[in-house]
Amino acid sequence: MTVWLQVVDTAGAVLLFLGAAICLLGVIGMLRLPDVLSRSHAATKPQTLGIILVLAGVALRLRSGMDLATLALIAFFQMLTGPVASHLVARSAYRTGQVDHEDLLFDELDEQLTDEK
Amino acid sequence: MKRGLRFSFRNADLPPLSCEFGTRRRRVLDLPLIAWLTVIWLLLWSTLTWANVITGLVVAVAVCLAFPLPRVDLGLRLHFWGILRLACYLLHDMYTSGVKVTRQIFFGLPHRAAVIGVPLRCRSDLMLAATAVAVSNVPGGSIIEVRRATATLFLHVLDADRPEELEAARRQVWRMEELTVRAFGTPDEIARVAEPPPPPQLAAGRPAP
Repeated sequence: MTVWLQVVDTAGAVLLFLGAAICLLGVIGMLRLPDVLSRSHAATKPQTLGIILVLAGVALRLRSGMDLATLALIAFFQMLTGPVASHLVARSAYRTGQVDHEDLLFDELDEQLTDEK
Repeated sequence: MKRGLRFSFRNADLPPLSCEFGTRRRRVLDLPLIAWLTVIWLLLWSTLTWANVITGLVVAVAVCLAFPLPRVDLGLRLHFWGILRLACYLLHDMYTSGVKVTRQIFFGLPHRAAVIGVPLRCRSDLMLAATAVAVSNVPGGSIIEVRRATATLFLHVLDADRPEELEAARRQVWRMEELTVRAFGTPDEIARVAEPPPPPQLAAGRPAP
């Protein structure tokens, strides 16, 4: 039995480490990428994966019913609210002219907005 | 019918599983919503006791009365296998998406980005929102605008100078739409996503200059 407990503990520690490392990579990406919209990629996707791995690691170490449900709730809300926040940042950046249109290869949203004016 | 309390199984005007009370200022209590709020309350306290259940119910009812929601027909259906499939695909895609964005950050640099519009097949608000949230969590693009009138999502795609990446981003959106609708949609919408996506001349962006 104790062998299994050790295996689960180690797996939890590995997941925690992986999750933290992926979050760190996301932050480095935010520093390296050139503009707001590209940075929002780096700010959302690796972070969501990272936090879910961290939560999975914590779940493997806690191992009790109610705590697992709370962790699942955290993951659920993370996946639900992260996209909303990143959408709002991207949308307001786009609409306030923080996006350099010269850098974009083409822009199908700009055409629609111009057509409506 | 001038009674204080009315239930939805006697009155077809009300949303399913809800009750309405009050004669002058009507308040509608949505029972599934109250149950869900109580479950969240219990999970936040992390202990299952009668005191927590009762205070949770009181808080949920108070929240529903203090912040009444507009009466809308959500058109929400729950399909168990669909939800399971959506969850599995989401987990798998989140993994590949994390890896892909990381690779783009370190080795993919200089690439030209672009904004593409992807028309969806479903028109309902709930499906549009659910698809947008699902798409944000998978590889391809991040949402910058949702156009409700034409049910179009506008995505920012990182390496747009490769045509196969653009095509992959579009197919990914349509696949997420199909999975989402098969998890939560009405039969009518499921029939609509079973059809192939809109024709390519509508969907395809202009070629790279």
